[in-house]
Amino acid sequence: MPKIMIVEDDAAIREELALLLDNEGYQTAAVTQFSAVSDQVRQAAPDLILLDLGLPGRDGLSLCADIRKNSRTPIIFVTSRSSTGDELRALSLGGDDYVTKPYDIPVLLARIRAVLRRSGGPAGPEALETGGLRLHLAQGTASAGDRCVELTRNELKILAHLMSHAGQIVSRADLIDALWDSQIYIDDNTLSVNMTRLRAKLEEIGLPGVIKTRRGMGYQL
Amino acid sequence: MTLGEYLTDRLGRILAQMTCGAAAASFLAATGTQPGVLILSILALSLVCVAAHLADFFRQRARLRELEEVMDSLDQKYLFTECVQPPRGLYERRLFDLTRRAGRAMTGAVSDAQAAQREYRGYVEQWVHEIKTPITAARLICGHLDGDPRRRLTYELDRVQAHVERALFYARAESPEQDCVIRQADLGEIVAQAIADHRTLLIQSGVRVETAGLDRCVYTDGKWASFILGQLLQNAARYRGAQPAVVLSARSLGRQVQLTVSDNGIGIPAHELPRVFDRGFTGSNGRACGGSTGMGLYLCRKLAGFLELGLDIASEEGAGTAVTLTFPAKGDLTKL
Repeated sequence: MPKIMIVEDDAAIREELALLLDNEGYQTAAVTQFSAVSDQVRQAAPDLILLDLGLPGRDGLSLCADIRKNSRTPIIFVTSRSSTGDELRALSLGGDDYVTKPYDIPVLLARIRAVLRRSGGPAGPEALETGGLRLHLAQGTASAGDRCVELTRNELKILAHLMSHAGQIVSRADLIDALWDSQIYIDDNTLSVNMTRLRAKLEEIGLPGVIKTRRGMGYQL
Repeated sequence: MTLGEYLTDRLGRILAQMTCGAAAASFLAATGTQPGVLILSILALSLVCVAAHLADFFRQRARLRELEEVMDSLDQKYLFTECVQPPRGLYERRLFDLTRRAGRAMTGAVSDAQAAQREYRGYVEQWVHEIKTPITAARLICGHLDGDPRRRLTYELDRVQAHVERALFYARAESPEQDCVIRQADLGEIVAQAIADHRTLLIQSGVRVETAGLDRCVYTDGKWASFILGQLLQNAARYRGAQPAVVLSARSLGRQVQLTVSDNGIGIPAHELPRVFDRGFTGSNGRACGGSTGMGLYLCRKLAGFLELGLDIASEEGAGTAVTLTFPAKGDLTKL
């Protein structure tokens, strides 16, 4: 599991962020003493650092330069300073990404995944499998047994989200949320249309009714 | 200054001189001066007086013209007393001193006001950055909630954040050179950022978003452009009709890039359209929907000015509104 180090002076954010990342399956280490942060980074050896730019006593930018002296660990700046100039300065000092507060949780998680992927960390799975249904993410196809069907981008994302939450009820609103993460900006009606097409395709490969509708709650795979 | 003006101004003195002349003439006549000598003396005296007045008039007019030319040529008019030729004569010198003192007092008052404004702007910016910390914490805590309450609370937090952002950009627009960095930016990323910032609002309002042709480079400040788009998306969601949709599509226009944000909302009455960019203008829609500040589009126009971004609006009541942003070509930018 990738280890993420949180360097953030606001206690509420630090604790909530640690909790959130724990729930997402990351290991977390939070810095609570802001002296000798770069030593603490060396000892903890994280895969990614979330670095707040407005730390007490010390500017996050100079801290980043310090960490960069003896470590290539990817750094995502998290800051409430949001001008383009700030961002350029931060990235030129060796930051890998720049997220401004207040961030949307899905957006932050997506940025973390992207930076970890770029830094050669564990890549996401290439295929998902649940109860005889196999989803090939790279090819954009779904298969069951020896039958295979091509999916559109929207259908692929819907099925991927349902499969990664197999067994759970996924509400339509959550599904729409998840699709927006992938820059597919669909509304309720479009989701219904896509869902109907997806079910027809799954029926083609011999899996009718694999996506159940839970009336008033959502979908379940 | 015309001769007429000058004579009117000096009327008292001229009358006094004429009275003196008349008194002297009657005195001389009474003491038995020959009429010929008397007339000659009066003529000579009048001649001297007229000559003196004329000389005075031309001198004054030349001096005034000189001063006016200096004033006209100055960009900073308050530097006038520092730039004119040294005063002539005691009276003029004293007048200059007075003017200079008045000018100094004014410059002092202005720079005090500027310093106060800078301080205020600084405080607003600092405040905005500080308020973001508790908003971030609240968003993270929201994550513990399930489904509907989470979405509703996130929606409200988004509204808080939208107000905070407007305050920040209002302060920034006062001295844009400190924040605005115009460089090559990816239009797709700018749009994605604006949509991501307003996703909860758009989803909750049931707005379908379509994008087309955004794979282009533009020369602008990404954050500022994204803020402007955000205001347009907020309007599209606020003034939506049935089955709302907003389309963001870009096309090339010579070396410029045009981005059109069009919605199928309730539209703006034609007679209100010319005023929608005015500060504090809310219009009939704003009054009907409530919660309108009249600041969003005003800020858009102000920021667009600094970005040298063309901003045009077209609307039809009941059909929708389209705002077109024309990004400048690199070569046309005066500040890069």
